Amino acid sequence: MRSSGRRALASRILAGLGLLTVVGALPWLSQRDPALSVLRARYSELEPTPEAIASVRAELGLEGGPFAISARWWSGVLRGDLGDSWVSGTPVGPGAAQAVGVSATLTLLAVLVCLLVAAALVAPVLRAVARDQPVRGSGPAGVAMTALPEFLLASGFLVLFAVFLRWFPPYGWTGLETAILPAVALGIPAGGLFGRLLGDALAGASRESWVDVWRLAGARRRVIVPAVVRRAAASVVDQMGLIVIGLLGGAVAVEQIFAIPGLGRYLLGAANAQDLPALQAGVLAMAGAAVVIGVVAGAARLWLLGGPLPAGSVAAPPERPHGDRLAQWTFGTGCALLVLVLVAGLPRDPYAIVHGRLEAPSWLLPFGADASGRDLLARVAHGALGTLVPALVIVVAAIAIGLVLAFIPNAVRGPIEVANATPPVIAGVVIAALFGPTMGGAAAAVLWVSWPPLASHAVALVEEAKAMPHVKWLPLAGVRPFEVMTRHVVPVVAPALARHGMLRLPGIALALASLGFLGLGAQPPAPEWGRLLAEGIDYVERAPWATAAPAATLVLVSVIAVAAASLQGSQLPRPPRDGREKPEVQPADGVSA
Amino acid sequence: MSAPVLEACGIGAAYGTRRRPVTALHPADFALHAGESVAVIGRSGAGKSTLAEIVLGLRAASTGHVLVHGERFCGAGRTPHAARRHLVQGVPQDAGASLPPRVPVRASIERALARLGVPGDPSARIRAAADTASLDPALLERTPRRLSGGQAQRAAIARAVAVGPDVVVADEPTSALDAATSAGLADALLSLPARTGGALLLVTHDDALAARCDRVLTVRDGVVEQTR
Repeated sequence: MRSSGRRALASRILAGLGLLTVVGALPWLSQRDPALSVLRARYSELEPTPEAIASVRAELGLEGGPFAISARWWSGVLRGDLGDSWVSGTPVGPGAAQAVGVSATLTLLAVLVCLLVAAALVAPVLRAVARDQPVRGSGPAGVAMTALPEFLLASGFLVLFAVFLRWFPPYGWTGLETAILPAVALGIPAGGLFGRLLGDALAGASRESWVDVWRLAGARRRVIVPAVVRRAAASVVDQMGLIVIGLLGGAVAVEQIFAIPGLGRYLLGAANAQDLPALQAGVLAMAGAAVVIGVVAGAARLWLLGGPLPAGSVAAPPERPHGDRLAQWTFGTGCALLVLVLVAGLPRDPYAIVHGRLEAPSWLLPFGADASGRDLLARVAHGALGTLVPALVIVVAAIAIGLVLAFIPNAVRGPIEVANATPPVIAGVVIAALFGPTMGGAAAAVLWVSWPPLASHAVALVEEAKAMPHVKWLPLAGVRPFEVMTRHVVPVVAPALARHGMLRLPGIALALASLGFLGLGAQPPAPEWGRLLAEGIDYVERAPWATAAPAATLVLVSVIAVAAASLQGSQLPRPPRDGREKPEVQPADGVSA
Repeated sequence: MSAPVLEACGIGAAYGTRRRPVTALHPADFALHAGESVAVIGRSGAGKSTLAEIVLGLRAASTGHVLVHGERFCGAGRTPHAARRHLVQGVPQDAGASLPPRVPVRASIERALARLGVPGDPSARIRAAADTASLDPALLERTPRRLSGGQAQRAAIARAVAVGPDVVVADEPTSALDAATSAGLADALLSLPARTGGALLLVTHDDALAARCDRVLTVRDGVVEQTR
């Protein structure tokens, strides 16, 4: 108990060091011998003798174990040398720096869009606060904006505004007009989320009793409104940092769709070519950006709160569950539609090439055919299995990890924070670069980012269960600690964890689909939703249905995911806020008679 | 005087971080003898319950150790050995919530007897324990949820006594009960040392109840001293 603070700190430091070592040792981790392929590519005249391979290994800096490789790479980084590309043999530094410049510009524009969207969402809440009207928090507009993942929104924008309406150029990075669509596609989901969080925080802050006291004391609007904003902003500033880090991840898909030479596309290219020095440079740049964002968010919190309070010490204002009935209804309808597609499509053959290429939808072929003449309804339905079954496996694995780790709560704090700050796409890129693009790799990447929320929940639930009087007194009846856990604690917490996991299922399926869309997941001809969309989007002008069918199912899953998230907010047990929990011993001077 | 049943040697407790430890209980020494009842009194938050939990072995002490019959029972960072658990048993503050909620009281007691390796016929032991606790044997078939506060408290006493402990620690056993029920329960508890020959450590904030015990320990701001 008394060393819990130290253990949490040690856990954070270890997680950070582990991350640094892993980034440095990526070439070692890939476990395939790059020396051989580099030898063939560069010196085709040489025989692959052990001596020749050893000399290439030395040239690539591959001898020694993971720690030696990592240490060498980091000492190079500190001297400003990021290493040479395995593909071209030229230094990776300049290319990475150029990509960082492009991405920084795009991210700034996206943050601008995000702030505009958030301001638009928050404005009605602020007006209500100013006029002392009942404040209802964020409305359905914010929910709608966060519904679609970036890759889907960007594809939609590309099809609608660049291909059909021709208002903007479809790809490239030549000026402001090429930056608008990507910035908007990135900024809308982020702004929707930020606006929702801030709106709910404002609504909560405006209901706190000090606001009434200030009003009774005759404070004016221009005093009260900034004070409420400041109180609300302090509780969401950490979230804002995470949202901006999320933008970096979303940028991978958006840059790929609009062919923007930014950091995301650089990473994706490095992953596809398995050019690990380039990948290391890209990951380093991403991590650096995340640290900068974290420092800025920390400084903002310090400024807002005016003191060295640790993160999370100001409780978020109570959030009102909203739209319960609507969320239930939407969730039910969405699931029913999905089941309908499954029932209609699963008996059909997703691989048989028996229809015309890009055949239009008809009674016999409700969703039309794809570019190879395969039944799209069958492919979408089988794609549901290809996406949802791995998602289910991920959920079960995340719950299992959470339960195991819940018994060492302080030791997992660091890894949880590191994993929390990793966007799934980045994890996917790194894993694909190491082990090649496979469904298993994509699933591992999504698992890596999806276990922390379940693990934190498991930690909280296990602590709660262990504090229940009858569990606490079990040792007196001779029950051993292991049995207390397996027979009395786990059965109590498992149902709540399972419910939480199921509600996260659609979101996890979308993350898998976005990796599939980028070519980092399932490989052809396997039907997988992200892949289907990527395959269809090439023919969007000739055969819009080839895009519409997978896009529509993805939108359906997005809607289910958002509805599930609001159900989750109202169903999960909340930690006690009123502080009535009895402390173990009160400090002497605080005892009242 | 005979050798004590239980000796607490410098047991103390702290929580918080190593840099800023908060002392819950300063190192305390006391002894319990067979057949005597000792009250522990003090205001809320003084450290009484912490003391009880350490003696019961439910919470590891940060300093010192507890001897039972002159042998180490539990100590700093060590929980009691399973084979010696039966020596010290407890009656909790909220018995209704402290017995496994879905198991009939009889089954709970039988399980405890089996796990703690208590010899003899379980049903005879349970009958005798129910008699000692003045618990209507019919109530043994109910789950704790279907017992009233006083009945659950008697069930908890029966569970503790059935094991045949040499020391019974009761942590505020009457604080959740009305005056009449509480008086009946106090009689049952205070008769334990005479009937079983063991010792009773009774944690309470009720001075009248403490006055009926043989000796009184007072805990004030985590410091234990004998006041009577």
